[in-house]
Order: sequence, then structure tokens, then C-alpha cells
Amino acid sequence: MSALEWQVAGEVVMLLPQKAIYWPRTSTLIIADVHFGKAGTFRRLGVPVPHGTTTQNLQLIDELIAIYPSKHLIFLGDFLHAAGTSTSTLQSLLKWRQSHHQIAMTLVRGNHDLRAGDPPEMLNIQVVDEPYLVKPFAFCHYPDINSDSYVIAGHVHPAFRLSTRYEKLRLPCFLLGASRAILPSFGAFTGSYTITPATGEHVFVVANDSVIKIPV
Amino acid sequence: MNSVTKSTKSAKITKLIKDWFAAKGWKTFPFQREVWEAAQAGKSGILHASTGSGKTYAVWFAALLRAMDKKPAKKTTTGLRVLWITPMRALAADTLRALQEPLNDLLPHWSIGVRTGDTGSAERARQVKALPATLITTPESLSLMLSKSDAQAQFANLDMIIVDEWHELMGSKRGVQTQLAIARLKLWNPQLLVWGLSATLGNLEQARDALLGGDNGVLVQGQTQKKIKVDTLIPENPSRFPWAGHLGLQMLPAVVAEIEQHQSTLVFTNTRSQAEIWYQNLLEARPDWAGLIALHHGSLDKEVRDWVEQGLKAGQLKAVVCTSSLDLGVDFLPVERVLQIGSARGVARLMQRAGRSGHAPGRVSRVTLVPTHTLELLEAAGAKQAVALRQIEARQVPDKPLDVLVQHVVTVALGGGFRSEDLYQEVKSAYSYHNLQPDEWNWVLNFVTRGGQSLTAYPEYHKVVADENGIYRVPDLTIGRRHRMGIGTIVSDASISVKFISGTRIGTIEESFISRLKKGDHFLFGGRMLEFIRVYEMTAYVKRAMGNKGTIPRWQGGKMPLSSELAHAALEQLEIASRLESKLESGLVSDQKFNSPEMAALKPLLDIQQRWSALPTPETLLIETMQSREGFHLFMYPFEGRAVHAGLAALLAYRMTKHQANTFSIAFNDYGFELLTPQSMDWRQLFNAGMGSEITLFSTDSLLEDVLLSMNATELSQRRFREIARIAGLVFQGYPGQPKSNRQLQASSSLFFEVFRKHDADNLLLTQAQREVLEQELELTRLSETLQQLQKKQIDLHEIARPTPFAFPLMVELIREKLSTEKLADRIARMVRELEKAAQV
Repeated sequence: MSALEWQVAGEVVMLLPQKAIYWPRTSTLIIADVHFGKAGTFRRLGVPVPHGTTTQNLQLIDELIAIYPSKHLIFLGDFLHAAGTSTSTLQSLLKWRQSHHQIAMTLVRGNHDLRAGDPPEMLNIQVVDEPYLVKPFAFCHYPDINSDSYVIAGHVHPAFRLSTRYEKLRLPCFLLGASRAILPSFGAFTGSYTITPATGEHVFVVANDSVIKIPV
Repeated sequence: MNSVTKSTKSAKITKLIKDWFAAKGWKTFPFQREVWEAAQAGKSGILHASTGSGKTYAVWFAALLRAMDKKPAKKTTTGLRVLWITPMRALAADTLRALQEPLNDLLPHWSIGVRTGDTGSAERARQVKALPATLITTPESLSLMLSKSDAQAQFANLDMIIVDEWHELMGSKRGVQTQLAIARLKLWNPQLLVWGLSATLGNLEQARDALLGGDNGVLVQGQTQKKIKVDTLIPENPSRFPWAGHLGLQMLPAVVAEIEQHQSTLVFTNTRSQAEIWYQNLLEARPDWAGLIALHHGSLDKEVRDWVEQGLKAGQLKAVVCTSSLDLGVDFLPVERVLQIGSARGVARLMQRAGRSGHAPGRVSRVTLVPTHTLELLEAAGAKQAVALRQIEARQVPDKPLDVLVQHVVTVALGGGFRSEDLYQEVKSAYSYHNLQPDEWNWVLNFVTRGGQSLTAYPEYHKVVADENGIYRVPDLTIGRRHRMGIGTIVSDASISVKFISGTRIGTIEESFISRLKKGDHFLFGGRMLEFIRVYEMTAYVKRAMGNKGTIPRWQGGKMPLSSELAHAALEQLEIASRLESKLESGLVSDQKFNSPEMAALKPLLDIQQRWSALPTPETLLIETMQSREGFHLFMYPFEGRAVHAGLAALLAYRMTKHQANTFSIAFNDYGFELLTPQSMDWRQLFNAGMGSEITLFSTDSLLEDVLLSMNATELSQRRFREIARIAGLVFQGYPGQPKSNRQLQASSSLFFEVFRKHDADNLLLTQAQREVLEQELELTRLSETLQQLQKKQIDLHEIARPTPFAFPLMVELIREKLSTEKLADRIARMVRELEKAAQV
């Protein structure tokens, strides 16, 4: 696994192939669109999605915390997928939270959180509305928010279509512009949306264990 | 009733029918009487014949005779007696008209109705109260009826099921859906008769068995096939005709001349985009034909299509450019002429299209092939011969597709519920599932009741639940409603409707095409240049565009492989040509080298091929190798159709890279394939006859394993899984024009595919996706047979200085596959380098 360092708003951030951003100066780990409980919601509505996606998500965060020393973990919205998250999912979350009790966690509310409700208090996650300002950044769920600070957001689940004369690949990506950055969705059971970068925006695709900058 | 009065009665009825036919000025045909007698004796069967030959009345009067034979019912409502299943909604209205006619005279108290996706809610409501005596419906609507809790009562009086155009259904999952529905109805009515109507096929016995579930039945041969004439529009100057291409617009003047000479012509194309382009070009060539020629394809709005069909029937249209959308259905008597632009891909299809002309008595059905490039002349010569010899393709019946079964099991759970063992036996009585193993059945049952994994049940999952008596039902109304909306196995890419701002509907178009358009972009659709405005709630709004530059929508599904019958016929023509050539050289024949106009026109090209390299024949395998700026090329021409070539090319490339990592770019068409690599290859060494190295390359040992590793089998399976996920009810699509509902339930099939692979790898729907790729896309059986044939052939290897007429179309093929042993990151890095290099030029 190799991360890619990039400078935005005068700060060095690391784009991680695990689809997260690490901000080394403040030891902050940033994750967007986990959608905990999504598989369970599907099952409740009669669509059989196998077990295991929650565990997969939590293990991946564990891995990140083990590699990148984190004091603060910020979720950029859509933490829970829908109302009525199952007890088993909540129990896994609680157990996981307790194993990282020393880390401060913040959730910036997204559209799904508004319907799903805030995570239970015992998870000890600070819940805020966007923009959540930590200079020089404004952490948001929606990327289109107006802010004087550099916006770091989710919501879009961006993917990029890389195509040459003979080949085509569609890959999740980071999208970094002059005034904002968008993260790929972190959740194991989340889809993606093909984006076209605007002028001045850089695309970084996630290719299994590395992050690669695409010239556009 | 004693036997004397009974026979008097049936004699009376026979006379009644004879009189009815006579009043119309018709005679009854022997095959019609054969069907009537069989049905009277309680037999099921299949009637096969060409279109427009009295097939409909053969089976319809069989049903009427059975009804007239019984005592007239005291009540006026008889309940549903006859189900008429049609593969196309568009055919329902015409069928209704045809069936209605004798009813008025012979069985006036019999009601008849239509039920398809187009049926309005008022008619539906009436049918809920009391079904008509005869119902014309589609496989999907029939499944929907089976999902109603009172289904069994609705079908209690059913006497006969008639499946129209069974040859169209039998090879598809809709056919399997029909099989399952019939199995259920037969269980409720053990005396039920099942009759199918079919065009002539290479495997009629199997067609019968699939329809009747292996029960005894008769095969009735209809009116012998009309004479079919196949000929070709020969390019004026064959040596100037292009070596590659697919539009065929060079032939425009010749086609215009043909249309001019005849009262009414159908111009068949293979894709909807090709139809659009030809229509546009015909209009440009002959502006005076505006209003006299029309366009017809499956994406156009029903009203537009109806208007075109009416115009054809009334003889008001000079020509209609169409796709397979006009393959089936009612006959258009005024059609005099059928042109086929490009390859028809199969013998059966060519015959079907030919049959659309010459309906008036005494006329011959004739289809004229319009080649789009020189090599199609070869195929035309082959097609002619294959039609003359009636080498008609077989239709393969799907083997136990579990997605269809998953859907059916939920349907039955809704329609009154089931016991596991009973339904298992019932399903096994359907032909496609006769080999369904108990563990497969248990998996399906587990999938709908517990979510799939046998060890852990999902506590929150309650789709299908067994009650204390062991009867499985769907307790949740919302889940039931969603399932009913999702019933149906016709699957295509998500499509959205196209409307003018004023609200007039034009048709539907694939979402993938629309998503690439920007505001103000122009595109050609429905014969008009349109300007894209915006998409709102599954509808694309457009206005008429100024100017006429635009893109043509590309539709999926244009790349059907050539059938092996047609490919082999083409190869045989080459063999005849090369034999005649050698006879000529040895002075055995003096002239008449090429015995058909097609082959004569092809001669200049074959001469070049011969001079630069050699002709492929059934005994030899021609291989050409070449070096160019792009790298090292290998061309091979097995003549087995593009699906086999795709698999074969990837397989050989993979086997070559086993010892040395390499990257191949692969192109293929119906005649052969090309491997291109940047690394130097000693092809001669690899394929030198006598060395034996080609034996390993063509070996059938560990074929499955190698094919899976060679093709990007995962990517192909993922594409297949789209359809499976929809049928099995994982992906909820909604309908075009409907606003998206249920956002919580949005997930793409590729997401399901990934999650299943990671967390439920034994899921049988994944296995099915892989099996479908191997059997249907790569045609593994045919691939294996091809390899065995290649082993026996003599290799004829030529190093060529420039691409030969056979190699050229492959070299310019833009759609290519890549076989690579590179890591994803390396692959992306290389693609990025390619992009940067291209940007610098």
C-alpha cells in the first residue's frame, strides 16, 4: 500500500489507497460515506446482501489507524445508511469504538444522517453540521458549500473513467481542485458516480494498493 | 349421449367449420385438420411452418372445436379457457383481431381480451372480476397473474395454452419463464393441452420437448415452405469496393434504384444506429420521398411504430428502413421486396426476413443482400447455398438458470404459497430444470428464505417465510408489491424516454448514451436531428436541431456472432473457389471459374489474397504474420464466428504468455482474429508444422481453466451479472418514466457482484454468471470443437509484407480486447503514458 502526498491550502495531506485522507500535521484521519448498516437495510427490505461488510469497513479503519497514528477521526457524512440500524451492527460499532476510546471522532452530518438520525450517544462521536472548520479546512458532506476555507467533502462517491484507444477502466478517485477536495466513498457496500473533472481539478485514481494521478 | 349422436354432432361441427372457411373463400389445409384431430384426441404438440400460412387458425380452431364439442355452459361466463401467449406486446392487437373473427360466427358467447404491459387499468379491473374465455398475453403478464393469491381459481377452467412464435422464446430466459408457468398450470389442470407455433428450426424435437416438458406430443409440419430466393446487389466496381466497413453507404445508389422499381420495400439493417443512418441518407438522396419512406426500430415510440405498420399494410409506404423490430408479426401483403444491408448473421433469420415479402399467392419470397464490404460477398454466396440446403440453426434452450427460478419461487410464494417438495417436483417437470439437483433446489429455497448462506440466517431478512404447516409465503406486502413490479426477464440497459419540450414522446434511448450528452449536443434519433436540452425524472427533453451535424446513438446488442452454419457455408465457398482455381491451372476447366455472381465479384479480391498469401480452406489453417510500426501481428482465419474467435484468440495469447509475460491486443471478426504484441515473436517457430508446438496451443486439455484465466472472465461475468441481478430481484429498476423511488434500495449489480464475491463466494448466481459467459459468450463447446478441428488442419503460414484483404478488416477493428499479465497499477501507468503520448502528438 502506498499513499500519495499532495499539498492543498498550504498543508500536506496523504491520499490513501484505502480511500481515505490522512493529515499528518494534526494526526487526523478523514473518511467519507461509510454507510454503516446499508447491507442490513437491504436485507430488511427483502434483498439478500451477505453479512460481512460492516466488519470489513471496521477492519479497514483499524488498519489505517495502525499505520497512521490518529488523534482525530473525521467522518464526512453518511455514517449510518438509514433509520433502524440493526442491533448487531450497533454492537459491532460500539465494540470497535471502545477499542479506540483514545481517539476523538467527529461526524459532519450528511443527507443520510438526517434521515437515519445521529449515531447513539454511547458511540461517543461528536456530531456537527457542515461546515466543520479546522483551519485551514472546512470539513463538509456536500462539496458545493460556500466557504472561505478549503473544503474537504464527500457525498459524490466519485469514480473516473480512464480510457485509451484500446482499453477502458472505471476506478474510484479523489478529486482535488483549487478550493475543494472530494473523497471517494469508503464503505464496502457503496457504489460510485462517474465524474468529469472541471478545469484545474486533479484526478487521483485508486488502483488496489496505490493512488495514481491522472493527467487531465 | 350415445356414440351415434356424438358422431353426428362432431360431423355437424366439422361442416360448420368447413362452411365458415368456404364463406371466406378459403380451403382447409391437411396440416390444419391434422392439428384439429390431434387436439380432439387430447394431444399436445408443435406446429412448425413459415409465417402467413394458416398457422394461427390451425391452433385456434383446434381450441374452438374442443369448446364446441362440449355441452354449452349454462352460465354465460365460462371462465378462462384458452391462453394465447405471444412474445411481443405489439403482436397482441393483431392476434386479437384474427382470433375475434371466427368467434362472432361460431362461438358468440365467448369473450376475448388482451393483457400485456400496455393494458389499461380499466380493462385490468374488468379482468379481475372475470377473465375472458380467451386471454392473449405475454410471458411476463402470465407470471404476474400467477403471483395473485387466487391464481389457481382463475385458471381452474383452462383447457388449452397456445404459445405463438415459440422459436423466438425457447432460447431465452423468457422461454424458461414460460416453461415454469406451464408446469404450474399443468399441475392445476392435468388435462391441459399445450400447443406451440414455431418457425422451422434445426432442433424441432428439442423445441417440442422444451414446450411440453418432455410429455408426449406431436410435431405437425405446416404448409411446405414457400420458395425462397436469395440474391445479392453486386457492387458496380468490385475491385474498388472497400475491404472493411459496416455502413455500406457505397451501395446507396443501387438501393435507391431497387426501391424505385418496386411498390413497397423493407430495408433491414442490423442495428438501430445503422437504420437511422440509412434512413437519413435515403432521404438526402431522394428528398421527394419524404413522407413515403419511414423508419421503424424498437426504440421508437409505439405510436410511431403503429403508424408505420399501418402505412405498410395500407400500401402507402414506398420503403421502411427497419431492424429486427419487423422480423416478427403480421404480414404486410404489399411488401414486394426485402433488402438486407450487411450480414443477416444466420440462415433462419435470413429466411424469416425473406418471408416478409411475396405474400400474395404464387409469389416467391425474395431477399436481396446488400454487402457493406467485399468479404460480405463471400458470406452472401455462402448464405445462398445454406438457404437452398435449408441448413437452419438450432436454438439452444437455457439450462437451469437459477435467476429465473429465484424469481419464480417468490412469484409462487405470492400466488397462494407452496410446499418445498411439491414445488421442487413441479419445477423439475419443466424441461430446463429436469436436471435440477436437490442441493441446487435447497440453495434457491435458502436464498429466498434466509438470504443465501446456509449456515447463518439473516435475522432481519424475511422475504419468503414458511408457516407452521410448511407452506412458504411472502408475508410482507411491500416486498410482494416490489416483486410484482420486477417480474419479467426481458432485460436491457436502463432506458429513458425522449420527449419534445412540448411533451410529445419520440421513443426511448439507453441511459448510457444520454449520459454522455451535454446540453446543446445534437443527435440523430427517430429520423430527426435533435438537440439535447436536459434530463429530468428519467426523461430526456429535446428540441429540433438546426443544422445536421450530430452523433448517432449507439445501441447495445449490435454484435451478434455469425452462426456456425453461415460461417461454414462461407468457408466452403472459398474451398470451391480454390479448387476451381487449381483445376484451372491444371487445365481441367477452361472457364466458369466462379459459379455465382457473388464469387465472380469477389474474384479480384481473392486474386490479391492468393497472390500476397493464400486462401483459407476447410483443410488448411491459414496463418499470416506481419511486422509493422505497431508491433508483431498474427492473423488466423478459422471461420467460426466472432464469439469463438474471441475465446480462441485470448486462449492462444494466454498460452503464449504462460512462459513469457507479454501483452496482446486482440481483434476479432466472424472470419478470424488478430494478435498484436509489442514484443518480438517467432511465430514460425510456434506454428511450424512438424515441430508439434502448435499441438500444445490447440490442446483441449485444461481448456476450462485456461479460458477462465485468459479471458478477463471476471469482467465478463460481472457484465452478465447485471441481467441476473435484475431477474433475481436484487436490483430494483423501476420503470422508464417513473420517478426513482426507494432511494434506500439503490445499488448497482456490480456492487452486488463485488460483495457476493467477497462475502458469499459460493453464491450460485455467481456460478451462473460464469457459466453463461462460458456457454453463451465464449461458446465453450464450440471452442473445444474448433480446437479439435484445428489440430487436424494443415498449417499454411505466410509472412506478409502488407495486410491482405482478409487481414485488413482486423487491423482496422477499433474494438479490441487486451490480454495482459500486468498489475493494475502498472496497467494504469502504461495507459497514462499512452494518453500523454497521444496528447503530445
